[in-house]
Amino acid sequence: MSTEAIPAEKPKRNYNALFGLTLLALLVLLWVILSVSTSSFASANNISNLLRQGSMIAILAVGQTFVIITGGIDLSVGAVVGFATVIAAMLINAGVPVFLAVLLTLLVGVAIGLFHGFGIVKMGLPPFIITLATLTSLRGIGLLITNGNSISINNDAFQEFSRNSFLGVPNLFWMVILVGIPAYVFLHHSRWGRYLFSVGSNAEASRLSGVNVQRTIFMAYTLSGLCAAFVGVLLASRIGIGNPTQAEGWELQAIASSVIGGTSLFGAVGSVHGPLLGAFILATINNGANLLNVNAFWQRIVTGVLIIVIVYFDGLRRRGGK
Amino acid sequence: MTSTAQELHPAPVLEPGRTILELHGLEKKYPGTHALKPVTLAFKAGEIHAIVGENGAGKSTLIKLLTGVMPRTSGEVIWEGKPAALATPHEAMALGINAVHQEVVLCRHLTVAANMFLGEENSRFGILQQRAMVKEAQKIIDDLGFDLPAHVTLGDLTIGQQQLIAAARATVRGTKFLIFDEPTAYLTRKEADQLFTLIRRLKGEGVTIIYISHRMEEVFELADRVSVLRDGTLVGTRNISETNDAELVKMMINRSIEQIYHKEHFTPGAAILEARNLSGKGFENVSMTVRAGEIVGLYGLIGAGRSEFVTTLYGRHRKSAGQVLWEGKEVQINSEHDAIKLGMALAPESRRDQGLCLNLPVGLNLNLPIYKRISNNLLISNAQEKTQADRQIADLRIKTPTRNALASSLSGGNQQKIVIGKWLAHGAKLFIFDEPTVGVDVGTKAEIYRLFSALLSKGAGIILISSYLPEVYELADTLHVFRRGKLVATHGFRTADHEEILTQALAEKQEKLGGQT
Repeated sequence: MSTEAIPAEKPKRNYNALFGLTLLALLVLLWVILSVSTSSFASANNISNLLRQGSMIAILAVGQTFVIITGGIDLSVGAVVGFATVIAAMLINAGVPVFLAVLLTLLVGVAIGLFHGFGIVKMGLPPFIITLATLTSLRGIGLLITNGNSISINNDAFQEFSRNSFLGVPNLFWMVILVGIPAYVFLHHSRWGRYLFSVGSNAEASRLSGVNVQRTIFMAYTLSGLCAAFVGVLLASRIGIGNPTQAEGWELQAIASSVIGGTSLFGAVGSVHGPLLGAFILATINNGANLLNVNAFWQRIVTGVLIIVIVYFDGLRRRGGK
Repeated sequence: MTSTAQELHPAPVLEPGRTILELHGLEKKYPGTHALKPVTLAFKAGEIHAIVGENGAGKSTLIKLLTGVMPRTSGEVIWEGKPAALATPHEAMALGINAVHQEVVLCRHLTVAANMFLGEENSRFGILQQRAMVKEAQKIIDDLGFDLPAHVTLGDLTIGQQQLIAAARATVRGTKFLIFDEPTAYLTRKEADQLFTLIRRLKGEGVTIIYISHRMEEVFELADRVSVLRDGTLVGTRNISETNDAELVKMMINRSIEQIYHKEHFTPGAAILEARNLSGKGFENVSMTVRAGEIVGLYGLIGAGRSEFVTTLYGRHRKSAGQVLWEGKEVQINSEHDAIKLGMALAPESRRDQGLCLNLPVGLNLNLPIYKRISNNLLISNAQEKTQADRQIADLRIKTPTRNALASSLSGGNQQKIVIGKWLAHGAKLFIFDEPTVGVDVGTKAEIYRLFSALLSKGAGIILISSYLPEVYELADTLHVFRRGKLVATHGFRTADHEEILTQALAEKQEKLGGQT
């Protein structure tokens, strides 16, 4: 390059990849420790179970990350998951072909995401408020529709899906790959991905550079809604019922996974692989705690402490890198 | 008198004329820039010491060091004969050093009184004595001769009035050394007079004042001594009675006008853009034409409607009346997107707020307008993304380690090159530059002006907005003067003198009459 070289900092991107690697190292370390300290962790059964547990939060975290990169937040995803189980269950029980039922459920997720975009862009509501409102309303609507009862899904093939494996890997984990790869390409190799970052960094500068900021925000929340509805379908398949109160608190787990994975709540910093790793780290902690017979209450406390520790060290490193 | 009222009178100060603050080789380096080269200077107690210099000369760096906002790289500071670290703002304030900034740094949602006593509230048994504080604050304000209420929310006042409150606040905390950083930028003439009265009064009470301003007439009106900074170097200090305007300007610039302002004249081509009787928020009935190969300068004070006019052209705000013609055809521009599609490009006034994604890489910032072109329907071409960014970095001589460095790590001048540079690859026909050289050093300024010529030679047209008269004066082929939302005068290249243009922009006589009744 002909530009005047300034010594000092190394390129940032290496650092990002490095962070991904250290998260992976942390995950591997946890697995090694648990394999040694418990007899049952390394069993095929348990690993499949762990992958299933982590998969759904992982997919939610990817959608959540798109939103957080724009500087927003989507608190509704847990409620959307619960609501989607109800929609999927009702459609399937009504005899709608599974393929079509799944598609329609996903469209409901898209519609919810569009509504969030509308509230933020057109009504000027803060993301926190509009998605908080949907969080409580959707649970209410779901309870109203179901009269507070669970809907048992009478379609074995649909439920089989979540239990089966392909090439020895649980189907649910394949779904993470199905979502993760397009999400990665979208975020890191398409211009819409660049726009998510630029809007999160400086919406005004992006607007003046010809970026359609409103459309970008619509897109982020729509994708988050879509991911949540998809997780709803997977959950319905796994538990075999539609119930609007399911997935309580999953929005917080999704946010936690995203943040553990290096996403900045101030926007403009994030990746796809980070939240995925974050979700499986959380799943491993829960799984391991169960195996070690740690009191379920303690599990929650430990998770909270770990979030603080991981994000604190990430912040330290970021500041140190500057 | 209660305790708070006593604080109006500064703590005992040194007898006038003795040295209160000495700087020995004070220096500040940022990565990539040497913002302040070793400065040695002594301030006398009770003097008004003006500091002048161009944007980027190091004035704000000096203030940041003196107020403890940033640590110095090297050098020594002697306060009242003792070395001072000045490592934190708190330490500076404890010594009695305060600053009134150009931008008001107070809490806009709190009342005037709450702001005056922020951090030193009057409370009894932990309960705020709100009424007492309002009364106290009102007394201070009245005492200073400002006609302002103490109980209202600060944000309800004009920027100028807020500035006066900020000044009043700085006087109630045992201040011995007070720095004013371009305090009159947003003030009306009447408010400025009130401020000057306050400053003279503080001087009478023995407070040392640093007064930073672009306005020479204010320097000569107020100051006892003046120091000139240029490119981070202290060029010299003069007694105000022994210097004049011309000498100071020469010290500030140190090169002839021709060396900075690179002006090539091109024969204007066809009209690119024409505004006919355009009105909108903040301006009315403005007509002008921009032709290929010419620079149209818009001069006026901040808030005169220049920026509002161009942002409306650019589709940011709706016009309320009038027409816009693009290459002879009437067009409706309803969004920035429409404007960019036509071939307009805007480099906005505020780099940080509007121009850059600071926490993203340089390369992404440069490519932001052209991602559509360097990607197919789905994917970005990595190769093109790299070559485009590297080419701009090389062409514009942007000083950055790589295209992956964050925009925030660059100096102001280099950031400005990104703001401008991102439009070069885009290939616009009409460039709008809003205050393109604020906070940019002289060398970068000259580079930016050369860039203008390059654009013009390719048949582009330029609208140049500036509050700095020499800039528009030396560069614009057509110069429009704005005042209070109206286009009040139009000149050709150097067809009017500075004084005439200034008078048109200020219309100071009328305002003085209106302001003081």
